[in-house]
Amino acid sequence: MAVHVQDGTLRQSGLGSVSRGPAVIEARDIWFSYDNRQPVLRGVNLEVYPGEMTMILGRSGSGKTTLLRVLKGLLRPQRGAVLEHVNGGSHRHGAAIAYVPQTLGLVRSLSALDNALTGSLSRVGARSLVRSFPGSVVEDAKELISRLGLAPKIHEPVHRLSGGERQRIAIARALMQQPALILADEFVSQLDPITAENILQMMRGIAAERNVSLLVTTHETDIVDTYADRVIVMREGVIIHDSPSADIAAGQMLALLR
Amino acid sequence: MNRRSLITRAAFAALALLTLFSMRRIGLLELDRIRPAGENLGDFVSSLFPPDLDVLGTLIEAMIETVEIAFVGTILGVLLSLPLALLATRTLFEPVISLPARMLISAFRTVPSLLWGVIWVIAYGLGPEAGALGVACYSVGFLGKLYYESFEAVDSEVMEAVRGAGTNRMQLIIYAVLPESTNSLVSHLLFMFEYNIRASTIMGFVGAGGIGFYMLGYIQLLRYESLMTALLLTFVVVTAVDLLSGRIRALLVPSVQQQSNRSPLRASITALNP
Repeated sequence: MAVHVQDGTLRQSGLGSVSRGPAVIEARDIWFSYDNRQPVLRGVNLEVYPGEMTMILGRSGSGKTTLLRVLKGLLRPQRGAVLEHVNGGSHRHGAAIAYVPQTLGLVRSLSALDNALTGSLSRVGARSLVRSFPGSVVEDAKELISRLGLAPKIHEPVHRLSGGERQRIAIARALMQQPALILADEFVSQLDPITAENILQMMRGIAAERNVSLLVTTHETDIVDTYADRVIVMREGVIIHDSPSADIAAGQMLALLR
Repeated sequence: MNRRSLITRAAFAALALLTLFSMRRIGLLELDRIRPAGENLGDFVSSLFPPDLDVLGTLIEAMIETVEIAFVGTILGVLLSLPLALLATRTLFEPVISLPARMLISAFRTVPSLLWGVIWVIAYGLGPEAGALGVACYSVGFLGKLYYESFEAVDSEVMEAVRGAGTNRMQLIIYAVLPESTNSLVSHLLFMFEYNIRASTIMGFVGAGGIGFYMLGYIQLLRYESLMTALLLTFVVVTAVDLLSGRIRALLVPSVQQQSNRSPLRASITALNP
């Protein structure tokens, strides 16, 4: 059964205090199976709070990716419900939650800037059909890209960028969506540890500043301590642990993953 | 002998029998006709030489018209097949739309190019206009299929990621589907152009313009030396276009393969043998 943290407060994180308001997204008793045989998710309950950086740990096959895809609405659970509590306002349906798949899903022949700009498409309307964007949106994208350290490669097509550079463009695109929540699947798994930490740090910084929640899946325990406010461990489609990351020791995490 | 090899042998025997039976029915086993056929062919080949170079000027002009027919036909075909192929893409449109679009594309493909030429000669009158329109219609059938297959081969995670930003269908087409398939689109276009050059050389047989008009005339007037000049010219132009477009396609191939596991050539062959 899912263990759930019910306390109303969150620990002080390294980036200042994060207050726990109403949840951004709520998953209630999610059951999902791909072929009506073995369920991949078995009664998952989860709330994500504003500004929170949550990491979901689990071995492959534990249901992490499926959970993210259900939260994004790409998969419809057979039982249970996902509730979005985001002020829709300027967002077209679905834009409030950004999803970064493991393969990043960047458009390879488009430039870094154009890829980032696709994140803003739900806001810019008809002029985007002739590849034109409002100046303020372009400035925002350029600023994001240069903050992520890619200013010199802004017009480079994405297929010429390195893995770490692509990862950063994927973050820029997600942030351009002005989301309340970013779901990132195995986000830094393909990168060397130094690049991975670099990117996590940048992503955390910008997300905290914009009050964006992050939900990141990973199978690496060593990055969790430093970057996560909260740790969730999944096994065989069930959440077996959910706590502030300070409350769980590395050894304990490894034991849970086994 | 095990069962498997027995079945294999039986299948070969059946195939051989079927081939002999069909050959007999179409008259290929009549030995008394084979020898004269060989002699006739020999006579024909020797009458092709020497090629008549006096007609070269006229033929070059006609060949230019042939290339123009193929070029205009291909471009018109691309312009018509792109929207149709987008509608036929199952990852973009529901079956209510994609299915009729597919049926229309395959209907275009069912009619041979020469017959399209005849149809447009009837509708539009004799001349290269009919040829270009015929080539265009035929191209819609093939390019439509090649294009919707390219569109459907766009990585589903790219589609999800761009769609997930709250984009509408037009934005998804402009920012994900078309840029991700640009290389295959160009590659298929060149392939179609190569094919259409060949198709356009015989458009003249039905009065739809180009060098074929002269070829048919020379055959009817038994002017085989002039026919030889037309054939040589066609050979030179077709080979040159093939080489050139093959070069361009080879430049595109690596990145196309990066986008999908299907090579454009294999996709083209699949489409040409539906």
